[in-house]
Amino acid sequence: MTKQIQLKQVNFQYPGGKSNVLKDVSLEINKGEFLAIIGGNGSGKSTLCKLLNGLIPHYYVGDFTGQVIVNGLVTTDHKVAELSHHVGYVYQDFENQLVSPRVLEDASFAPLNFGFPDYIQRGKRALDLVGLHGHDDEFVWQLSGGQKHQLALAGAVSLNPDILIIDEPVAQLDPFHAEEVYKILEMLNKDHGKTIIVIEHHTEFIAEFCDQVVLMDAGQIIWKKQTNDALKEVDHLLASKIYPPQVTQAAYQCGQFKNNELPVRLEEALNQFPIQLNNHKDEFPRSNYSHLAERDKLVELKQVSFSYKMVNRSRKKVLKDINLDIHHGDLVALVGNNGAGKSSLMRLITGLVKPEKGNVYVEGKNTRNYSPEKLADTVTYIYQNPEEMFIEDCVRKDVEFYLKARKVPGYEKIVEDVLRQFDLTDLQDNDSRLMSGGQQRRASLAIGVAMEPSIILLDEPTANLDIATRKHITKLIDSLKEQIISVIIATHDMQLVAEWANRIIVLHEGEVIHDGDRESVFSNVSLLELAGLKPPQILELSRKLHMSPLAYTVEEFVHALKKEENPSGIYTEII
Amino acid sequence: MEYTRKLSEKLSVEQVKIELLNTAYGNGHTFLAKLDPRTLFIWYLFFGMAPWFIHNKPVLIGLLVFMVITTITAKISPLIILILCLGLLGQGGYLLIASWFFGGDLSVILPLIILTMKVSIISLASITVFCSMDPEKLSNGLLKIGVPGQVSFSIAYGYRMLPSLLEEYHHVFLSFRLRGKAPMKHGFLYWRTIGYFAKIAVLSFYPLLLSTAKRARTTVEALELKGSFYAFNHPKVKKIKLAHLSFRSRDYMFLAFSALYVFTLFVAGNI
Repeated sequence: MTKQIQLKQVNFQYPGGKSNVLKDVSLEINKGEFLAIIGGNGSGKSTLCKLLNGLIPHYYVGDFTGQVIVNGLVTTDHKVAELSHHVGYVYQDFENQLVSPRVLEDASFAPLNFGFPDYIQRGKRALDLVGLHGHDDEFVWQLSGGQKHQLALAGAVSLNPDILIIDEPVAQLDPFHAEEVYKILEMLNKDHGKTIIVIEHHTEFIAEFCDQVVLMDAGQIIWKKQTNDALKEVDHLLASKIYPPQVTQAAYQCGQFKNNELPVRLEEALNQFPIQLNNHKDEFPRSNYSHLAERDKLVELKQVSFSYKMVNRSRKKVLKDINLDIHHGDLVALVGNNGAGKSSLMRLITGLVKPEKGNVYVEGKNTRNYSPEKLADTVTYIYQNPEEMFIEDCVRKDVEFYLKARKVPGYEKIVEDVLRQFDLTDLQDNDSRLMSGGQQRRASLAIGVAMEPSIILLDEPTANLDIATRKHITKLIDSLKEQIISVIIATHDMQLVAEWANRIIVLHEGEVIHDGDRESVFSNVSLLELAGLKPPQILELSRKLHMSPLAYTVEEFVHALKKEENPSGIYTEII
Repeated sequence: MEYTRKLSEKLSVEQVKIELLNTAYGNGHTFLAKLDPRTLFIWYLFFGMAPWFIHNKPVLIGLLVFMVITTITAKISPLIILILCLGLLGQGGYLLIASWFFGGDLSVILPLIILTMKVSIISLASITVFCSMDPEKLSNGLLKIGVPGQVSFSIAYGYRMLPSLLEEYHHVFLSFRLRGKAPMKHGFLYWRTIGYFAKIAVLSFYPLLLSTAKRARTTVEALELKGSFYAFNHPKVKKIKLAHLSFRSRDYMFLAFSALYVFTLFVAGNI
């Protein structure tokens, strides 16, 4: 093992900051490690990574003490330009690091800047390495989110650095692309001997791909451990608001395992939990969507087709002949791959766009004859990116915008209530753009709820959040059931789908290929595969254990196991 | 209703974005687009300036015809042509009315036409040249003739950001619509509705500025890591970057043909 990175007693404070972001950090990373850095928001993960490529202390000139050695170079003695030959960096908002209009140009941008005459070959090699083939002359804005991430990675690989740092690869990507990215990283690690450092919240990915884990809290390193040991430290992780893989949580909650016996991967869990042979009858409240089908229609889509114009002026068909009714009381999860037409469907309901063929009716009104401003009395649409909803300079003004524009009497009271419900009372005078991701999401939900709609449309409400914040948001979404007649969520988050929805609509290439509930969706393996859906790990486990009915959440799983064990009388003390 | 719907589709932010991108990047296959940027600079130096000093009507007409032909070969987006025509008509019309107001008569029409013709030639020349170079090419061309790297990079990068900026602007604009309140009545000549849209079109810029400032942080760090600042200080990099620029036979032929055409015009115009 060769030590590749050494941090010795590093302290750092950002210029103008109040306290040290890093406190006495010492760490060693060996060549060829696949390391995950975990920790709550503000624990110093990104700051730590910026030490390695010299952005700290060269670019952020704060109070820096201690020593950082990367590949034998002391970072204070070498410039960022030199260090970038050793360390590549992919940002969380990777779209902003793509600086050239065309794919190959962007991949060869760094080699060109450093004066390599074969810069084009280097760019091509990098694109090959990350598996982005056949897009050389395409414009970056035509790429999908996953491809953009690959391109950002290619840009980082183009100088052939020994170390790659990737900041939250899963946050911005759907589960399918996230896994693709990890497979590429695994290949770079195994076949090309690169040291990979990821900042990651998703412990299921860590269990699958990483071999070392560093836990940070409040600017300090708590420990560095092998993945297998690290993820079993459930108490430590939970204290830092990191959630271990679902199988680990389930085993931990069952209480029948010692900490060092906890499974961290699905296969291990399969060996450790007993196969469930006896069938229970409806232990859990099942969604009974079919009984409710007779209710009033809120939204009707009749033979709706939709397409939009692309940059080369050709039209791209996104929805084909959709027939759909949304009823009172529906909690719909709209699922499917990127580009399946989820967002387009929602935008049609808002009246922002009109169908090419067919008609959309909202409470009986044909959207063709009504402006989005009018339909806003009934429908609220919440963007995936909360920042695009902030049109005022503080949270409160944004929340009251709609009510004020309509001169609703006594709107102050409504605003106060909504701010309280979403925990924003203390933040109401802050600029929404400068808040954290979770706070922004809460603000965007509050804006929507303050409009008092009958139907609320949420585009990826849990994307891009750390797991603890995600839990909070999920709880808030759950509370909407009481206030709003119907909710539609477009999402990749299968845990949310399994725990929340009473109706699941699966879109695939612009068509509705399934309309049912969680039982019908998650028990249909070929459907899941076709639509690129990845069920929650706990559901997979319960399926493989032949549990019936399937458990959709960790709580259900533990509950079912305990029921199972109770008659045998072995684990009664736990219950 | 149907008509206004069609019109609003043509004028949507989305459509403007598509046209702008096509204008910037979509014309790479035309004859003019394959020329060296320096050829186009030289060409523009003449056709962008000379019309001011030419008063011979047949020569001006000949130049205008030439410009129309080059504009057609450059496959300019209809939106740009529309804007140009509106501008020219607006300017000509305003001068005409102003001159009548101050006691002019029909005799002002001829000089006005000549002026409009000169402006048209220059405008068409500009459109031809700048729409035939994508921003990368323009930036490389400028770098070659000695403009500092920072400036030429800014041009290329500005265009690269254009689509994302427009997209974001569009989202903010729609946010205003999704929460705002449109006037109940359209008003005389739709003035209330037009006023409402004009207002949110302006207001949408503020959130955009703030979020752009935020995203710029990552970009600047990334530029540092990717060595752009290193490149600005090393002439060797510039050489490698511009190695592909060269005058080819079609450059010489284009310049020679243009010179010959102008020469013939002068000869013919002065007979």
